[in-house]
Amino acid sequence: MKPIMRKLIFIHKSLREEPIILILFLCASSSIIFISLMFGFLTMEGAQAFFTFGINFLIGRTWETNANLYGALPLIYGSLMVVSGALVIAVPLGVAAAIFIVEVLPFTFRDLVKSLIELLASIPSIIYGFIGLVFLAPQIASFFRIPSGTVALTASILLAMMSIPTIIGVSGEIISSVPKEYREAALALGATKLQTIKTVVIPVSKSGILASIMLGFGRAIGETVAVLMVAGNIAIIPEPPWNFLSPVYPITAVIAMQMGEAAVGSLEYSALFGLGLILFTITFIVNTLADVIVRRESKFKGGVKR
Amino acid sequence: MVKVEIRNLNVWFKTNHVLRNINLKVKENSVTAIMGPSGCGKSTLLRAINRMNEIIEGCRTEGEVLIDNQNIYDKNTNVYELRRRVGMVFQKPNPLPKSIFENVAYGVKIHRMTSGSKIADIVKRSLEEAALWDEVKDRLNDSALTLSGGQQQRLCIARALAVNPEIILLDEPCSALDPIATAKIEMLIRKLSEKYTVIIVTHNVQQAARVSDYAAFLYLGELIEYGPTRQIFENPRNELTEKYITGGFG
Amino acid sequence: MNHLKEKIFFAILGIPVLICLAAILWIILILSTGISTLRWELLTTSVLQGGIFEMVIGTLYLLIGAVGVATPIGVLAAIYLVEYSSKGRFARIIDQALNNMAGVPSIVVGLFGYTFFSRLLGLGISMAAGWLTLMLMILPIIVRGTEEALKMIPSSFKEAALALGASRWRAIHSVVLPAAAPGIITNILLGMARVAGETAAILFTSCVLVTRGLPKSPLEPVMALAFNLFVKITVLGESSERVFGIAIVLFLIVVSIAAAAIVLRIYYRRKQPWLR
Ligand SMILES: Nc1ncnc2c1ncn2[C@@H]1O[C@H](COP(=O)(O)OP(=O)(O)OP(=O)(O)O)[C@@H](O)[C@H]1O
Ligand SMILES: [Mg+2]
Repeated sequence: MKPIMRKLIFIHKSLREEPIILILFLCASSSIIFISLMFGFLTMEGAQAFFTFGINFLIGRTWETNANLYGALPLIYGSLMVVSGALVIAVPLGVAAAIFIVEVLPFTFRDLVKSLIELLASIPSIIYGFIGLVFLAPQIASFFRIPSGTVALTASILLAMMSIPTIIGVSGEIISSVPKEYREAALALGATKLQTIKTVVIPVSKSGILASIMLGFGRAIGETVAVLMVAGNIAIIPEPPWNFLSPVYPITAVIAMQMGEAAVGSLEYSALFGLGLILFTITFIVNTLADVIVRRESKFKGGVKR
Repeated sequence: MVKVEIRNLNVWFKTNHVLRNINLKVKENSVTAIMGPSGCGKSTLLRAINRMNEIIEGCRTEGEVLIDNQNIYDKNTNVYELRRRVGMVFQKPNPLPKSIFENVAYGVKIHRMTSGSKIADIVKRSLEEAALWDEVKDRLNDSALTLSGGQQQRLCIARALAVNPEIILLDEPCSALDPIATAKIEMLIRKLSEKYTVIIVTHNVQQAARVSDYAAFLYLGELIEYGPTRQIFENPRNELTEKYITGGFG
Repeated sequence: MNHLKEKIFFAILGIPVLICLAAILWIILILSTGISTLRWELLTTSVLQGGIFEMVIGTLYLLIGAVGVATPIGVLAAIYLVEYSSKGRFARIIDQALNNMAGVPSIVVGLFGYTFFSRLLGLGISMAAGWLTLMLMILPIIVRGTEEALKMIPSSFKEAALALGASRWRAIHSVVLPAAAPGIITNILLGMARVAGETAAILFTSCVLVTRGLPKSPLEPVMALAFNLFVKITVLGESSERVFGIAIVLFLIVVSIAAAAIVLRIYYRRKQPWLR
């Protein structure tokens, strides 16, 4: 009770001195307001679908607009499949590149290469989609001798291309924030550069890199237009489930493709918001976990600044 | 016996000429103190002896540093082996974020010196030598970051000792410590010189007088004076040296 | 021996970097095959006559409006977080909310924008609804960037002003903000680059395929490069010269904004001694 009173008195006093604080405070709170609004409205609009189908909205295997049947499992599976495929490619490449840029690349090139990769990250997903559809998909089709190149694999490769710069950027930041003192400690004992990387740099930045991978996952699963253009967009679970040469229909693609036709208030409309809520929840959990990892880590390390 | 001989050493950071024509002979099993005002190049001189300047971007070194009459800047010097032979302790204690045991064992493992239970022996011996064993023997698996500053610094000394060095470089090892921890480390330094050649950088003139056999005074990158500590303190030849040791530099 | 192993290992680590650089080249190469379709008239001719004038201007309208809404909110929020808030639970919740906001997929932001701005607030399919929706995407970028820029300003700057008797707010906006301005602008530019090519968020909220001329008020719908490109490729199945032209123009706009941000940042890091 007491600290709250003290805080209120303090706020009151500082408000009298500087009324501007109120405005600053409101702006700062806006993120909380917006995120709550988003959750609230997605839930409200999506409620009908959840009430109608119950758990089957999540685990039903049929998504058919004509039959007014909405089971999101194939879509959720499609999203997860495309994203895990992408991360399997992007994580090792991205982390390796980050290590190379921070630890190996001579200083003179570092800024240049970092800037180029940042530029790569800024290219809009619609451009990636365009390139994927017009150039990558035909290549995939002819390489695997399949009739159409718009399949899960293409989406994964494209998504990997889009994620690598982000992963490089975030994990590069984390690797270069490993304190200089640690590196010096290892080097002064006669460790080689490689040993220093293996025994000091990677262990110290491990959880940060893990967090950056989770962020990359969140980004990738929310990617819409590029994925939509090359994933094939058929709401099935591939046969067998690991068949990357089958088309899939990721959640984001469904929302983007069907929203235009869904009548406001219809079951379809609600189902699309239900999908939005699923995505929102997934990314919320992933981001929160990443946050927790980073925070717990910095608490453990006490002295290490982040 | 001369252990380390520095000949015409020059170091630049980019265009900044930091060390100018340094010539210095360090005797085996002695404590040599390097004094001088901040920024005069003490740390750089120390780091030239185990080639740690190399990891700094834009650093260039000319001249020779001989250890046992071998120039360490020779092309075919194994720099990792060199750094094993020349241990270094930094100004700010820098234990790795690992357990106490792993910190001391780190160098041993890196150099694959021994394995298994022998590592535990080496860890124990090194911690004893660094006068830390009694304080940590029951918590070897705790994180090294849980130790106090003075303990961390002794841990860093133990870590350097574990790989059987011949020379130990200490860069203002007490600057982050309180008087009691400082006294402990000073006692330790005296003892270390029985077995090792010790070179210590210090800001603190009294400390140099207390622990060293030889002293060097560095000013703006130049070696102004070098000789037995007693002579430097009782009978400095250079005016600048005298001013510095009597506190005239402020 | 050890040395050789290390060299080989590092060379392997370098391969992905080469792949990235090759990817940039590849993208530029692909786009440049369409460069012949790009003529100056394309930019200045109305859509009704086969140009893309309204799309380019519409994209800029959307960008500027979104940044115009997000910047004041974001900068003020960052000032509160850095200068006023005690680092307690409230600050942590805001921190988390910002991280989560940055992570919300753009298509979900678009859904929300549609039900909230377009329908509930009655803005309909309009530029204003687009501004507000895109604002949600830029806000975290601007807050984070401004926070970082503010933290880099040595506290001695502010203390000097405070010592002269300035109030805290006065000291911040007369001394700290100007010093942090380049950093803040860099991040505004990065935010712009992020939304200039954004498609999913404006899909339902503010764009249409064709308008008669430019929008006359914020409550009218608008054309945008990204939206048109998307609809033309996926819905209309076009692969004509026009699509290539749109892609190249969009690419150039986004990449030049991002490049400007990066150059500005490098320039000021070098210029201002307190930034390392
Ligand atoms: N990493 C570096 N990059 C560029 N210049 C450096 C670097 N380290 C040191 N210098 C410069 O070299 C000179 C000598 O530095 P050095 O650290 O050797 O001084 P010092 O005598 O150890 O000072 P202190 O007592 O403050 O530790 C200084 O002018 C410093 O600015
Ligand atoms: Mg120093």
